[in-house]
Amino acid sequence: MSLAIRTSGLTKTYGEHRALDNVDLEVEEGSIFGFLGPNGAGKTTLLRMLTGLARPTSGVVQILGHDVTAVDDSIRARIGFLPDVPGFYDWMTAEEFLRFVGRLFSIDRRTLDERIGMLLGLSGLTDVTTAIGGYSRGMKQRLGVAQALINAPQLLLLDEPTSALDPMGRRDVLDMLTSLRGRTTVFFSTHILADVERVCDTVAILDRGRVVAHGPIQELTSRYAERKVILEVTDAAADLAQDISREPWATSVAVGPTGALEITVTDMDAARRSIPVLVAIRHTGLCRMDAGELGLEDVFVSLVGGGNR
Amino acid sequence: MRGFAAFARKEVLEIVRTWRLWVLPGIVLFFALTGPLMARFTPEILRAVASDQLGQFTLPDPTYADAYTGWIKNLSQIVLFALIIVYGGIVSSERRSGTAVLVLTKPVSRGAFILAKATVHSAFLAVLVVAGTLVTWGGTAIVFGEAPGGALWSASLAWLVFGILFVALMTLLSVVISPTAGAAGAGLGAYALVSIAALWTPLGTYSPAALTGVPTSLALGKSVETFWPVCTALLLAATLVALAVAAFRRQEL
Repeated sequence: MSLAIRTSGLTKTYGEHRALDNVDLEVEEGSIFGFLGPNGAGKTTLLRMLTGLARPTSGVVQILGHDVTAVDDSIRARIGFLPDVPGFYDWMTAEEFLRFVGRLFSIDRRTLDERIGMLLGLSGLTDVTTAIGGYSRGMKQRLGVAQALINAPQLLLLDEPTSALDPMGRRDVLDMLTSLRGRTTVFFSTHILADVERVCDTVAILDRGRVVAHGPIQELTSRYAERKVILEVTDAAADLAQDISREPWATSVAVGPTGALEITVTDMDAARRSIPVLVAIRHTGLCRMDAGELGLEDVFVSLVGGGNR
Repeated sequence: MRGFAAFARKEVLEIVRTWRLWVLPGIVLFFALTGPLMARFTPEILRAVASDQLGQFTLPDPTYADAYTGWIKNLSQIVLFALIIVYGGIVSSERRSGTAVLVLTKPVSRGAFILAKATVHSAFLAVLVVAGTLVTWGGTAIVFGEAPGGALWSASLAWLVFGILFVALMTLLSVVISPTAGAAGAGLGAYALVSIAALWTPLGTYSPAALTGVPTSLALGKSVETFWPVCTALLLAATLVALAVAAFRRQEL
């Protein structure tokens, strides 16, 4: 397995504050990797270290097989990067900015002309001739994505790439990321779970500087789905909830918005055997009982604490 | 040095396409145009408005030397102060706006980033001083009928070295002090220190501090030591830029 990104024991502290705490991460080449976390979790800090803008307090950061802190500037020729709030020279037009960025990569004129035309089209800025200073945030974000692609990067690092976009713009960017699958490794941070579910193969969830989950989305959701049972009964749901909450295998019982019981369990086999018995003891009717299909959002909320933050 | 040429080109375009084209050039050309006229007519204006207060004191007739010293005085004070204020954000403004992050995540070294700025803006200052000196020279010739070139050009070029030293200093200060006003304040403080240091004869003769007075002496046609002040000023400017590069490399963005 070839790795585009590898961090090991990566820690970053600012005074007493530990922004990243012993982060171990592996991103396979060619994958689309979603880096999820609530605001302040440390996503941008990690991206700053991946791009060499900040140095780790301890640990290892490797990009495309090279230690970021040890290599010269040449490794950046193979990377595309979009910061969370991209800064542009407001007096330039989009085409001028892309040309400027292309020159920083020493791209030959003919190739640059072709890429600029293609990327302006992709970002919907072909006919926009005004200076960047007059652009909306969405236009700047689309230009930011375009400049990150000007060098046809081997690794694309994006910090919240869709946060400022309208639904159409979001769809276009996500489609574009999907089209890069297999050719370019895409690593993007976001707190928009739907985006991750839509395009990512693999995901890591960061909370308070720690990676609390890491793996393929299917694996994560199925791992947590096995621990939840959805139960619908004809009546006496509240009494049944009390009975279930006393069971040793039940860690929590909640009444969902439709009246169904959502039971988090530690031992699925025990729950499957006991729940029908408890329903029968209550002389109530069983309408539905199944292992709940959790989405990434449920996994995310359960791991980072949801409203308890 | 990777990325130098492309980034330097951006710096040039930024001068041409933004307010930078108007501020320093506007100030320099204003004083270059008005300097000879002010030198020519100031005694007459004074006689007209304050003849009764002058008493027995007679004002000498103006000469081309008055135009030259006026030009150097304006360079040494107003233009230098404007330069310090304008370049207080030469690096920090890019860090604040986020453009430095976008550029420095490309194959551009931090050394190239700083060197391109110092080089382009020193060259820009040189163009301004040459243009301003040409205008002053021509204006002086028209107004006074005579304008020997040697004194004016040697004085202006000596000041240019001093100006380049301050471009280098502001580059360093803008790296280590984020607020533009803070860097500008430190730059003005450095100028005050240099002016005081020039009062001590060894420093006032051989160090960059001598360049606070040397241009005026040259403009008056006096023979003064220029080799050591110019050499030490250029050496110090190079050192300041090197320090700026080293400090910028250590910074997290």
